[in-house]
Amino acid sequence: MRKEVESDSGVIVLKNLVKKSGTELVLDGISLAAEEGKTTVIIGPSGCGKTVLMKHMIVLERPSAGEVYFKGRRIDDLRERELEKVRTQYGFLFQGGALFDSLNVYENITFPIRQHHEITDWKAIDELVKSKLAMVGLDGYQTHYPASLSGGQKKRVALARAIAMNPHVILYDEPTTGLDPIRADIINELILKLQKELDVTSVVVTHDMKSAYKIADRIIMLHEGKIVADGDADHIRNHPHPAVQQFIHGRVSEEDLAALRLGGTKFKTQYTPEDFR
Amino acid sequence: MLESIGSKTLDCIESAGQFARFSRRVAVASLQTCFQPRAYPLVWTQMNTIGVHSVPVIMATGAFVGMILAVQAYDQLAGMGLEEHLGVLINIAVVKELGPVLAAVMLAGRVGGALTAELGTMNVTEQISAVRSMGTNPVKYLVAPRVLACLLLTPFLIIYADLLGILGGYFVSVVQLGINSRAYWEFSARGVEMWDIVTGILKGFFFGGAIASISCYKGFHCRKGAQGVGEACTEAFVGSFISILALNFLFAVIAKAIYNTFWSIQPLL
Repeated sequence: MRKEVESDSGVIVLKNLVKKSGTELVLDGISLAAEEGKTTVIIGPSGCGKTVLMKHMIVLERPSAGEVYFKGRRIDDLRERELEKVRTQYGFLFQGGALFDSLNVYENITFPIRQHHEITDWKAIDELVKSKLAMVGLDGYQTHYPASLSGGQKKRVALARAIAMNPHVILYDEPTTGLDPIRADIINELILKLQKELDVTSVVVTHDMKSAYKIADRIIMLHEGKIVADGDADHIRNHPHPAVQQFIHGRVSEEDLAALRLGGTKFKTQYTPEDFR
Repeated sequence: MLESIGSKTLDCIESAGQFARFSRRVAVASLQTCFQPRAYPLVWTQMNTIGVHSVPVIMATGAFVGMILAVQAYDQLAGMGLEEHLGVLINIAVVKELGPVLAAVMLAGRVGGALTAELGTMNVTEQISAVRSMGTNPVKYLVAPRVLACLLLTPFLIIYADLLGILGGYFVSVVQLGINSRAYWEFSARGVEMWDIVTGILKGFFFGGAIASISCYKGFHCRKGAQGVGEACTEAFVGSFISILALNFLFAVIAKAIYNTFWSIQPLL
């Protein structure tokens, strides 16, 4: 079932990507291709390098070794000025939203447009902001500042900003984390809609298996800096690797259980609040 | 021991190199901004926060400097019967050194701290990465307007500090200590030259540039977390302060050499 990655088969192609942070090896020889018009979901436990991997796809971080290609062109060795042009074809949804505090919702969403175009028709821009906000269920919030929004609302505004320029590729870093189940599902539907209607290529980093099964054409599991599983939802469900099974079922490993048992919560020498009265 | 000295030296050289590269990027971006009217609104906004809002504190700083000089120097000069020369001493000190340096230090505290904290928080909350991810150069969008605003307005703020320093000194000397007003101004006018005033104000460009670039650099490269931002602010202030003093020294030596080449030294008393 595992599909071998052809180096020129995707919009974004990573070849033998290695990332070292100090002496620590964060990514260890990752090769993958995000196919055009498909949704690739990257799963894996916290701290396994999913976000770092995603930042390499848009070269916000430079790899220690290996190559990154965008539409067949190598981009990891480009200068920042050239990268700026490439990045306009991306939309990136950051984990915490990363909205600009000093700008209101309207200005946040129009930011990428204002940076790259001379705007003459402000009415059209108003309409565009309205429609993007309506997509994430927040029309009417144009004049709010990020500080007055909840975590979930920030994330949705950030999503509206990521899709403001109608990008070819959207990178979502944990789009559903911190949202209530209904909102989370709306985001899932939105990802599917963007893919169907605009033929957007999506890469999604998530912990949320329900969301992963729903939106993914292909799921990749990262574990200790390496890809341990790669395939569609069924392939992942039936994958023999213990780390995969443990992750998708949210089960604690035997070693973790043993550590918990040994750690204990009651010690003979432990004080209780009464001892201090 | 040797190893730690070596690694510290290497770290120092590395961060100096990083700062130099950052400064080069800032210089290029600032120059580009000068020729892009589209970016002017960003500069106006920063000029308002950095320049206009600093006027009151800078004025207060200048006024107190002038006043304290008068209070401290009066007794000595009066003892020698030279109290009417007080104006020269105060005004030379204010326009040449104390006005520019203390105004710059005040700015380093007020503006430098705010710049580092703002950019540091933006860095920690990935807003700088967000700017980059949308195909915009963060140095051009965030740093260049701040550096330009600081660079262009520090000399003007120094003028305010000088003005209030002169008025503060005059107030204490003439109104409080009863020195003859005419003699006070006569001696001042004879002692203080255009050269002193101009060099004092010109220093502002260097001070402003140093404050903004160091503060922005620290903000851009701060470590994650509240502690990281705090440390960056401290480092930015200390760095700005030391470079103001060092630049001031350098500038004084150069200015003096230039002055001595063209004119002869004038005794003040």
